[in-house]
Amino acid sequence: MPRVIYSQAYKAYDFGEDHPFSPARHDMLLDLLSELGHSPALCEPRPATREEILTVHEEPYVQRVESLGRGEPVADAQNFGLCTADNPCFPGMDLAARWLVGGALEGARMIAEGEEQKVLQLGGGLHHAQPDRASGFCIYSDLGVTIRRLTSQGFYVAYLDIDVHHGDGVQKIFYADEKVLTISFHESGRYLFPGTGDVHELGSGSGRGLKLNVPLEPYTEGASYLEAFDQIVPNALEWFKPQILVVQAGADAHFEDPLADLMLTTRTYEALYRRILDYADRFAGGKVLFTLGGGYSPRAVPRVWGILMLLLHGWPLPEKLPPSWVDRWSARLSLNLPDLLHDPESPFDPIPRAEEISRRNRQVCDRLLEATSRYWF
Amino acid sequence: MLVQDVMTRRVVTVSPAATLQEAYETMQSERIRHLPVVEEGRLAGVITDRDLRLATSTLAPAPFAPDAKVGDVMNRTVRTTDAMDPVEDAARTMREHKIGCLPVLEGDRLAGIVTGIDLLDALLKLTGATEPTGRLEIRLHDRPGELARLTGLVSERNVNIHSLLTYPEEREHVRTVLRVNTIETRPLASALREAGFDVVWPPDKPCPA
Repeated sequence: MPRVIYSQAYKAYDFGEDHPFSPARHDMLLDLLSELGHSPALCEPRPATREEILTVHEEPYVQRVESLGRGEPVADAQNFGLCTADNPCFPGMDLAARWLVGGALEGARMIAEGEEQKVLQLGGGLHHAQPDRASGFCIYSDLGVTIRRLTSQGFYVAYLDIDVHHGDGVQKIFYADEKVLTISFHESGRYLFPGTGDVHELGSGSGRGLKLNVPLEPYTEGASYLEAFDQIVPNALEWFKPQILVVQAGADAHFEDPLADLMLTTRTYEALYRRILDYADRFAGGKVLFTLGGGYSPRAVPRVWGILMLLLHGWPLPEKLPPSWVDRWSARLSLNLPDLLHDPESPFDPIPRAEEISRRNRQVCDRLLEATSRYWF
Repeated sequence: MLVQDVMTRRVVTVSPAATLQEAYETMQSERIRHLPVVEEGRLAGVITDRDLRLATSTLAPAPFAPDAKVGDVMNRTVRTTDAMDPVEDAARTMREHKIGCLPVLEGDRLAGIVTGIDLLDALLKLTGATEPTGRLEIRLHDRPGELARLTGLVSERNVNIHSLLTYPEEREHVRTVLRVNTIETRPLASALREAGFDVVWPPDKPCPA
C-alpha cells in the first residue's frame, strides 16, 4: 500500500489565523478520509537537519530564519523575503520548515531504498523557496533538498508541478542540472505571481532543454489544460526516462481558488491524477513521490486532494461526501461545503473567450515543443 | 534610466580607408549591423549593413565594388547621443530619424553605442519580472494624490512594490502597472476595489467562489 508521510509537527508551519496557507487543510483531508472509512498508513518523518537545508539554501538566509524563529529581531529580514505579508515570521519557524523538508526526504528515502514505490508527503510542496530567500509562503524548499538528495544518489529525477503558480524556486535550483527535468504547468506569469515560467526559460548549460514551462491563459478550462498536458508530459517523460517522478500537486488551479484564475474542476483533477499515476508506471518504473502544495479554497481543496489520496490507494471514489463531515466543517469554517465529491458538470457560466484561450494554449505548447526539439533528439 | 545604463561599451569601429568587403566581414564575425567609422580618433561617420547592401546591390544605378572604401559609402551626418542623456531622448532621436543606432559620446570620445536592441532590453527591464512578484493593473484618476493613496494602501498591508509603470490612457486616466511581492494579489485587488480603485487586473472571477 502506498505510504503517506505526516506528522502532527507539520501544524507548526502556520503563518497565523488569516493566512491562506493553513494547516487546517490537512485536518480536513484526513478527517474526510477517516469518515469515508479509510486510514492511510501514516509514517512519521524526522525534521531535516541544518546541513540538509544547506544543500540548497545559503547560509546567511538560513541564519536569519533561525534567528527569527528564536524571536530575535533581524534588521534586514525583508531582503530575505521574511517578515513580509506572504511570509510573516513566527516562533519556531526554522524547525517547522525543517519538518516539512524532513517529510519529503523520508518519502524519497523509502522510494530510493525500495521500501515503497508510491509515497505522498501530506504537506510541503514549497516550490517558491529560493536559495537565498523565502517567497510565496515557502521558507525552505522541501522539493529542492529532496531532489538534490536523489540526484546525489545517482537518480535521474523528473519534477512535475501542477500548482497554478510557476515552480520558480525548484526551477532555479536545478536550472543547470542535467539530472533533473522540471515541467511546470501554471497560469501565465504575465498575469500571476511569481511572474516567471515563460516558454523561453529552458535551462542553462547541460540543463538546457530540461526545464519546461507551460504558461496557460487565465480562465483556462479543464479540456484545454488536459490537451496541453497530453501534448507535453508523456513526450517529455518518454524522452528523459526518469528513475523517479516527483510531483508537486498544488490544488489551486481549481476554479474556486481565491488566489488565481484557472478554471479546473474536480473532474479535471481526477483525469489529471489518473494520468500522472499512469505516467509514473509507464515512464518512471512506478516510482512517484507526491507533495501537496498551494490550494486555498476550503470548499475545493479537501475534495481535490481527497481524490488524489483515494486514487493513489486504489480506493473507490464515492459520489457523496459524508454528511457528518460536511456539517462539521461547514460549521467550523462558517461555509457551505458541497455535498458531493465532484463539482457539477458545468459549475460556472461559459467563459466568453474559451476558444481563443484554447488556441493560445495550443500555440504555447507548439512553441515549447519547437524550442525543445533541438535539445531532445 | 540613462543611455550609459543600456549602451554597449565595447564598440567595434572601422576606418574610412577600410574596404566594403572588410566592413562586411567585421559585421558578420561580430554579429552586428552598425559600425561607427573612426578617423584619427574622431567619429567621422556610420556605416550599416543596410548601407552595404544598398551600395553594392545590382539594382543600384552604379553599384560599388567590394574593394570600394567605407569612406565613400558611409553616412557623414551622424546623430549621436550623450552617455548622460535619458534613454527616452535616445529613443526619440532614433524614432524621429528612423535610424537603428546612435554612437554615444562623452565629450569628443566615442564611449559606446546604443541600438534598437538595447532599447528593447530597456523595455524588458522596465516591464519584466526580475523578482518573484504578482501583477496589479489599475486605472487611476489623473489627479494629485491618487498614486499616493494607492501606494499607501499597498504599504499598509506590508507589501513591497517592486516596480511601477504608469502611462497615459485617455484624458482623465492613467494606467498603472504594479509588480508587488505578494502571491495574494487577488485579496489585495479586492481591498483596492473596496477603497474605490478601478482594478483592471486581476478581474473578478465570473463564477461563485
